[in-house]
Amino acid sequence: MLITCFFFFAIQAQAIQGVQVSGVVRDTEGPLPGVSIRVKGAAQSLGQTNDQGLFKLNVEPNITLVFSYIGYAAKEVALSEFTPDAQGNYSLNVEMEKGDGTNLEEVVVVGFGTQKKVNMTAAVSSIDSKALESRPVQNATQALQGLVPGLNISQNNGSLESTASVNIRGTGTIGTSSSDPLILVDGMEGSLNAINPQDIESISVLKDASAAAVYGSRAAFGVILVTTKKGKAGKAQFNYNNNLRYTRPVLLPKQMDSYTFALYFNDAQTNGGNAAFFSDEHLQRILDYQAGTLTSSIPVSSSNSQYWADGYAEGNANVDWYKAMYRNQSFSHEHNVSLTGGGEKTTYYVSGNMMKQDGLMQFNQDFYNRYGITAKINNKINDYIQANYSTRFLREEYERPSNLTTTFYQDLARQGWPTLPLYDPNGYLYSSPSPALGMRDGGDDKQVKDWSYHQLQLVLEPIKGWKTFAELNYRMTYTNRHWDLQQLYNHDVNGEPYLYSASSNVYEYAYKENYYNINAYSEYTKDFNEVHHFKAMAGFQTESTGYRDVGVQRNGIIVPNVSTINTTSGTDANGDPLTPSVSGQYQQWKTAGFFGRLNYDYKGKYLVEGNLRYDGSSRFRAAKRWGLFPSISAGWNMAQEGFWENMKDKVELFKLRASYGQLGNQNTDVWYPTYVTMPVGTSNGTWLVNGSQPNTSNAPGLVSSTLTWETIKSVDVGLDFSMFNGKLSGAFDWYERKTLDMVGPAIEMPVTLGTSVPQTNNTDLKSNGFDLELSWRDRLENGLGYNMRFVLSDYQTTITRYPNDTRLLSTYRSGQKMGEIWGYETIGIAKTQAEMDDHLASLPNGGQNALGSNWAAGDIMYADLNGDGKIDNGANTESDHGDLKVIGNSTPRYSFSFDLSLDWKGFDFRALFQGVMKRDYWQGSYFFWGASSGGIWWSTGLKEHEDYFRSDESHPLGQNLDSYYPRPLFNGKNQQTQTRYLQNAAYIRLKNIQLGYSLPKSITQKWGGQNLRVFVSGENLWTGTETATMFDPETIDGGSDGSVYPLSRVISFGLNMTF
Amino acid sequence: MKRYIVSIWSLILSAFLVISCNKYLDQEPISNIVPDDYLTEESQLAAYAIEKYTDILPSHSNWSFGTFGTDGNTDNMATPTLDNKWIPGQWKVGSSGGDWSFTSIYELNYFLNRVIPLWQSGSITGVSTNIEHYIGEVYFLRACAYFDKLQTLGDFPIIKTVLTDNTEELIEASKRQPRNEVARFILSDLDSAITLLSPTAPDGKKNRISKACAQLVKSRVALYEGTWLKYFKGTAFVPNGPEWPGLTKDYNSSYQYPSGSIDSEIDYFLGQAMDAAKAVADNYALVANTGIIESLNNENPYFNMFSAVDMSGYSEVLLWREYNVSVVTHNVPVYAQLGNYAVGLTKSMVESFLMANGLPIYASGSGYQGDETIADVRTNRDGRLHLFLKEPGQKNVLTNLSEGDHATEIEPVPSIWESSWEQKYTTGYTIRKGLNYDGAQCDNGRGYTGSITFRAVEAYLNYIEACYEKTGAIDASADAYWRQIRARAGVDQDYGKTIAATQMSMETNDWGAYSAGVLIDPTLYNIRRERRDELMAEGLRYMDLKRWRALDQLIGNYYHVEGFKLWGSMREWYTDDQLVYGSSNANAVVSDPALSSYLRPYEILSSSLSYNGTSWAMAHYLSPIATVHFTISATNGDVSSSPIYQNPGWSTTANAAPTGY
Repeated sequence: MLITCFFFFAIQAQAIQGVQVSGVVRDTEGPLPGVSIRVKGAAQSLGQTNDQGLFKLNVEPNITLVFSYIGYAAKEVALSEFTPDAQGNYSLNVEMEKGDGTNLEEVVVVGFGTQKKVNMTAAVSSIDSKALESRPVQNATQALQGLVPGLNISQNNGSLESTASVNIRGTGTIGTSSSDPLILVDGMEGSLNAINPQDIESISVLKDASAAAVYGSRAAFGVILVTTKKGKAGKAQFNYNNNLRYTRPVLLPKQMDSYTFALYFNDAQTNGGNAAFFSDEHLQRILDYQAGTLTSSIPVSSSNSQYWADGYAEGNANVDWYKAMYRNQSFSHEHNVSLTGGGEKTTYYVSGNMMKQDGLMQFNQDFYNRYGITAKINNKINDYIQANYSTRFLREEYERPSNLTTTFYQDLARQGWPTLPLYDPNGYLYSSPSPALGMRDGGDDKQVKDWSYHQLQLVLEPIKGWKTFAELNYRMTYTNRHWDLQQLYNHDVNGEPYLYSASSNVYEYAYKENYYNINAYSEYTKDFNEVHHFKAMAGFQTESTGYRDVGVQRNGIIVPNVSTINTTSGTDANGDPLTPSVSGQYQQWKTAGFFGRLNYDYKGKYLVEGNLRYDGSSRFRAAKRWGLFPSISAGWNMAQEGFWENMKDKVELFKLRASYGQLGNQNTDVWYPTYVTMPVGTSNGTWLVNGSQPNTSNAPGLVSSTLTWETIKSVDVGLDFSMFNGKLSGAFDWYERKTLDMVGPAIEMPVTLGTSVPQTNNTDLKSNGFDLELSWRDRLENGLGYNMRFVLSDYQTTITRYPNDTRLLSTYRSGQKMGEIWGYETIGIAKTQAEMDDHLASLPNGGQNALGSNWAAGDIMYADLNGDGKIDNGANTESDHGDLKVIGNSTPRYSFSFDLSLDWKGFDFRALFQGVMKRDYWQGSYFFWGASSGGIWWSTGLKEHEDYFRSDESHPLGQNLDSYYPRPLFNGKNQQTQTRYLQNAAYIRLKNIQLGYSLPKSITQKWGGQNLRVFVSGENLWTGTETATMFDPETIDGGSDGSVYPLSRVISFGLNMTF
Repeated sequence: MKRYIVSIWSLILSAFLVISCNKYLDQEPISNIVPDDYLTEESQLAAYAIEKYTDILPSHSNWSFGTFGTDGNTDNMATPTLDNKWIPGQWKVGSSGGDWSFTSIYELNYFLNRVIPLWQSGSITGVSTNIEHYIGEVYFLRACAYFDKLQTLGDFPIIKTVLTDNTEELIEASKRQPRNEVARFILSDLDSAITLLSPTAPDGKKNRISKACAQLVKSRVALYEGTWLKYFKGTAFVPNGPEWPGLTKDYNSSYQYPSGSIDSEIDYFLGQAMDAAKAVADNYALVANTGIIESLNNENPYFNMFSAVDMSGYSEVLLWREYNVSVVTHNVPVYAQLGNYAVGLTKSMVESFLMANGLPIYASGSGYQGDETIADVRTNRDGRLHLFLKEPGQKNVLTNLSEGDHATEIEPVPSIWESSWEQKYTTGYTIRKGLNYDGAQCDNGRGYTGSITFRAVEAYLNYIEACYEKTGAIDASADAYWRQIRARAGVDQDYGKTIAATQMSMETNDWGAYSAGVLIDPTLYNIRRERRDELMAEGLRYMDLKRWRALDQLIGNYYHVEGFKLWGSMREWYTDDQLVYGSSNANAVVSDPALSSYLRPYEILSSSLSYNGTSWAMAHYLSPIATVHFTISATNGDVSSSPIYQNPGWSTTANAAPTGY
């Protein structure tokens, strides 16, 4: 299919010839470099003039070109007004005048259509492909982080298969529905991760209900519209670019050395009244090993001389497990090719992309590869029918060691004792258990995901102004997953292998999803007397998705390197048959919706838009199925008023706008939320019957059959402006979004019910905040062009209704802000027993007994905020919260980015900073504390923890009375949520910095090329933050308790050439 | 005109779609089972019942000493850290969760509510005896779930139906029924189970519950309640006792015992215990004890019974859980060959065993060799101590030595200095119960010996005790049972001789020598001793201590849990480096010889909360109910309006330790 398409385009490319347009652009003082040129009506730029103001283009005949330049009035040039030379080519001299040079004509993609930015009344932000250029990132989502105000993207795990989470304007729901935005690629639901970033031409983010309304119940929390590149008429243009990358971890925690670690754990044991873990003899071995006088990382087992001793109990190695498990650097590369061209009737665009990214795992490396092919053809069948077809195929391959599961991050932190040998004295990886052996030899997990898109669109325009669109979209997703778990061998003292993990199995999984989408809509545009502009649109949309999957796992790999289901025996290590586990299911949902939109404006001064959507979803029973969702917005462009005349040369756009809308949310986590199903398990019981696993089943939960839509109401007030001939432009929006009748957490009921209380539409919340975008563009006399863009957004979410009558702090309360952190106020660490005793004496009614006992020097002194003479959390309710108070809030506040770009004589430079100005985070895990209440097996020892309280002057690590951490204990009394250890997770990060150089046309043309740019680009190179140093502020809430696969720091270089 | 036609047609097409829309959007689950289609066939009943086994019945789990370690933290066995319940002031009222939970009860009620009507109307397909059997299993499991509540909380709501999510209804259902009513309800469920269960479960391998299990548990519950009422009579811990908190609620304030009085109630339960126990004891023979320790091939069935891979052949085993190396495993074999996962046998436990001649160790002419070495301790003793107490130098692995990387071939000198629970010998004394001689069982975490859930000998012991508690005498059946147990143990069968030689003042280290703070009579004591020794490390000790009210003597006093005689000649087993001591020495691993010549595992460092010893508070006999349950069931935030009342001594404030009790 794809090959056929490609041939088809190739033939078209030869058959249709465009015309060549060349010339020079100048103003009264001379040639103008950097003037942007596009075809009228298109958003995409064809290119820019060079240093000498020269340009050369291949375009369709009889088009109109638009030349735009900051500080100058846009100039339209219709080719029909010029006479071509003998070859049919044009040579133009374009004069530009200073004046209103704003992009007021800029067109933005909105739901089911486009709109001039100047006429927008809803909250929409957009960016073009330029912002994504030369970013050495894994997918488009990562490149978008911070660029659009109100579009929040966070990636709290760096592993290759993890994707960033995306929301628009913050948390939308705390219920059992998703508040993800709807992502549409060329009008069809898609994914920002499963697209070749280089195919993207522009991205619009529809933020308020008014903008998203036409998409109805799938778009309750906003829409991201991705428009991909399409063919440009003219001579075939070929582009190749690449990107070679060196990736390093942004941050790896550093572990204590083995001796410090052993002393630390011993202190934690003995502080709690327990015996030291590492005996004096053991400590001596650790020191001897560090000094090199002992070479064996582990002694022989005292109970069985054939084997090495247990690694935890006896190991004396000195390993930094983070360093051991992650590699220092890995290499990745990306290549793109595209070909575009076409003639009067037909244009085409084809592209191919390949990315191979290597992961950071040291043993048995992980990989992510992506391959994408896109083909697009636009064909004018006759004057009033146009047919557009596009197809995209994308393959994602991901491979990792089978043992790289989420528990790895946990195990690495808690099982990665520095004293645990990585290799045994004979040089074999030694598991005891520990992460390395399983990682290397435990088998692979391979996943292949194919996405195949087909989109057919017919556009009918029987009379001018009436357009009808019929769209048929289809997507097929096919996932194949394989993993094998292999037997593991440790080696005994003589170097003989022996079976360490006997179980082996192969798992195969296949998933196929079909998605169908039909849109039919019609729009009519009519102007009356050049002052009244009407546009009406109405249509129908239906979506249907279904998937089926099948999975099977069978034990007993016969030959280790042949791991397929065929080659498993179905037996365990003893040869006894084991029932293979098998799974498979079908799931479906459908929606249908009718929509209409009416736009009216008077002289571009007063603007009104109304939307209506009537939506039905298969997720609700017939009686509760349909919902009607209206929205309205209006704008007033004061710059068009008479009284503005005097200011018009300074402020050419000043538009106030407001919108209100209501939407439904049908995106429930389960696809059949109103049906009760029986939890049934097949051969999964662990109480064996006659040697085999029995089938099991359990009581079904309770489900409310009255579930219905969540309703989202949003109000938005905004201002768009443009000043100084477009040099300064910006937009500001204030909004409030209410999510009503959320399917919230169930109310608390007496536990005599015996099961979870069924959920109902019982919860409301409210988010409010603002989005701000400012940009300044200018070019200096010396030719230095610069562009600064600052984006700032903020939101806060408040729970406005929640069934918590007792107002317990352990769950939400109506009126509370989301992300609230309740904790104690820390007075400090008692330096002496006397200081602690004095403190306890000041608390006559129970001291700190509610939190623990045996308070001593090195423990935390908590403040008695309510003055009741004891430290506790009272009834843990809002009215009786004891000594707790709100000490912070984990909502990321004031997300910002600052994007600076410069260009001068072929050089270009960009620096993108992104960050969060205010965020508190309580990361109370063992990863933060070191020794924790989870006991010795749920604790760790990192460099940071070395700064712990030691009162003993003769302590081998020295006395430390001014420590950051309290004395270590396998006990949680010092680890209450409290002010002293609250993390400031605000940060600023240099997300991208790049420097490029485009060779002068005079040189490139000698090689037959049009453009050649070389660049270096870096990602995540610098971070400013006050977060504790074992955490990356972006991933502090990720992985397992903050122990994550690190994000990547990338240095890349590449070239971009066009023929 | 043609131009418009295409546009018009596409709009008409949309209109057609509209008309059929509602039907088009009907979407039922395609690949899920809805409740109406389920629990209508024999195998579905079986699947539902088996799912509850692991939650409700005891068995081994990984990274612990399994059921053999459950008695840790009693006077029988010690672990490296002392549980809060032995340190008054440390056990506090929780704010949420806790024992006040109904999850298992709901799941079992769901089954019974759905299945019983279907069964009665004959709408369940399958073999009728099997259908009845599986229904019987669920009655049995509900009884077990309730017995757990009876032990932890005492008075408890009796809920037999699936309730709806109606707050008023749920508050009404929160009313606590007097504990003897709960016990009677459990017995009635067990009677249903006894009627329905087959003598041999359909699996044929005793992996599933059988009639005898229900009879055994019935005797256990009845004995529990009978002895509880007897020993707590006159306290707040029995219905209508002084300050019984049930009196504060209208619904319980005029409670009357169904049998008329607490004494006849006690009599009723003890009678039930005897009947049920006899039904088991008369039908299930004890397996033989040949006295052979190194019994690779079942040379000693009594020894091998506890660690067999297939336990179905042992007459005494009523229910056991099977493991499989690839599916579900545990690590008991590894720990049995080493330090028992730091669960150490106490000196008190070891000393409670008689000499083989039937005399207590202190009796004149007992032949007791003293406890300077473990070998001495084992000499001439009760065959069970000889069999199950480990001694350095014994063989632990007889076959497949090279297969288990964590096998311990020869029993080492107890490594008391270790702190890792995997390696540590907490008291110096460890047991061989559960030890399997096959090295293949000793890959770390991959053992697959069976786990005994119910053993018939308990019925023998229940009978003897119930009989004596009820009648004050040993009847003929009790006499026969006791002799069988002692014969099998390798002890002189003449228990009269033992009773005569018993001096209660010498038995004070055994908590079971007391009830309500006073020493009991020697006959009863020897019945309890027999029970303690036979059921050593089988997880019933704490239950027994509570129902005997055998912890009062610890209130306000400190008891010192001790292990072997470290500071005697066994001291020579260790180097000085291994025996660091001193209450303020951070590196100390053993207790100071100044405290005792016996190892005191809880009294090593003075910074330890257990340093003063083990103690008790009266309120600890019952668990507190977490505060949230009062708040949720209160009408206007006023905790006292809740129908729930707190157990004696406990407060309705979170994080509070008990007062007054």
